[in-house]
Amino acid sequence: MTGSIAQFQLLTAKDLKIEARSRQTMSLVLVLGVLIVVVLGLGLGTTNNVAGFNAMAVLWVAYLFSGVLCFEKTMAVERNDNVLAGLMMAPLDRGLIYLSKLASNLILMLAVAAVVTPAGILFFGFDLSAAPGSFAAVMLLGILGFAAIGTLFSAAVSSTRLQGGLLAMMVFPVSLPLVVVSTQLMIRTFRDGQAPGLSGIGILVAFDAIFLVVSWMVFELVLEP
Amino acid sequence: MTRASSAIFEAKRANPATPEPVVRCQRLSKSIDDRSVLREIDLQVGAGSYLALLGANGAGKSTLLKIVATLIPATSGEIELFGNPLSHNSASVRARIGFIAHQSMLYRDLSTRENLEFYAGLYSLKNARARVRRMLEMVGLSGRANDPVKTFSRGMVQRAAIARALLHDPDLILADEPFSGLDAPSIESLERFFSELHVAGKTIILVNHDIDQSLRLAERAIVLRGGRIAVDSPTYRLYPREVLSEVSA
Repeated sequence: MTGSIAQFQLLTAKDLKIEARSRQTMSLVLVLGVLIVVVLGLGLGTTNNVAGFNAMAVLWVAYLFSGVLCFEKTMAVERNDNVLAGLMMAPLDRGLIYLSKLASNLILMLAVAAVVTPAGILFFGFDLSAAPGSFAAVMLLGILGFAAIGTLFSAAVSSTRLQGGLLAMMVFPVSLPLVVVSTQLMIRTFRDGQAPGLSGIGILVAFDAIFLVVSWMVFELVLEP
Repeated sequence: MTRASSAIFEAKRANPATPEPVVRCQRLSKSIDDRSVLREIDLQVGAGSYLALLGANGAGKSTLLKIVATLIPATSGEIELFGNPLSHNSASVRARIGFIAHQSMLYRDLSTRENLEFYAGLYSLKNARARVRRMLEMVGLSGRANDPVKTFSRGMVQRAAIARALLHDPDLILADEPFSGLDAPSIESLERFFSELHVAGKTIILVNHDIDQSLRLAERAIVLRGGRIAVDSPTYRLYPREVLSEVSA
């Protein structure tokens, strides 16, 4: 167990070190996320933003598209020079490769969200002061589930030529429950003044748990060196 | 590669406690997209042997090597490595295999030292730093240890890849076209290095397109044709022209 934790830390630290050195993923993903907020903000206009609904929808669009780019880029690092084969041959539980890649994707996604979310809130004049904790919790759970699915599918499609397009086509429909539930929870919170409650959060937690466990279990099957 | 390299690896030849073959395949088959790539391969590779796998493109050499390397599963048949069925505790089996390919399996943005230290951590090697230092000396990259791999020439990348593959002192070394893209001095150096590993008692399976070179280096050659074993013979009994006709038949 100690060995597995050390291996997990090594794998995650390696991803973050490569990203810190190359800055290939973050720079692209951040620009894309902010661009989506700005372009959709200008298109939709900020005056018609009913209870922050536009802001929520636009933020999710930004998370989804920048997330797909993030997953694709971080998996490409393992595809270059077939490093993935080197990892698969190491004496470790191959599920650890999934968990570490999920952890690095999650860290990068949260870093993107930390920039894109304030941009969206400012652009749409969305008042978060009523329930900032609920907003953070719901979005965090939504992003966790999305990253769990995206990490799995990015490994599955990384050996194909379609990659980005195919990844979006596979990830977006599966992520739909997360997007719908979290958006509904936020609308209820900010329009109706109802806190998400344990049942609402519980649905998101259940989706996350299912996505995480299933992805971890099938990850080895989708790896193709 | 330095001549002292064999001293870095534990000599296994003198150890009589491993009577079972290192690799044993029985009726091993592999299909990809309904196409049979390997057909009922029966193969045993003894400890300390040096085997060359030859064949035309698409004959199934690399696929067989990937199955032995635990990277892809066989469609049917059985495979044992070090006396263990592959599905049984394959992580500990993988720890005894080193894989050298024409792709380096190294992170371009990390230095050779960082790459090797990373792999040393994954393999939970003791005295990892000392081991990494010795491997860097062995492949002659000590002076460039802190440079990113992306700044290396093809020959240097291949030397770094060899250091990665042998870092954990594997008993079975799988080499998939390791000479491709190398210049003449690098090829000569790598040939000598494989010979030293063979002398140190390592089991080597070499996939190669150069028939002359393979017959010169290895002690046994197998020619794959259409996913089947067409020739399996000690190399001293084979002539390059004869092998070429088998490969291209």
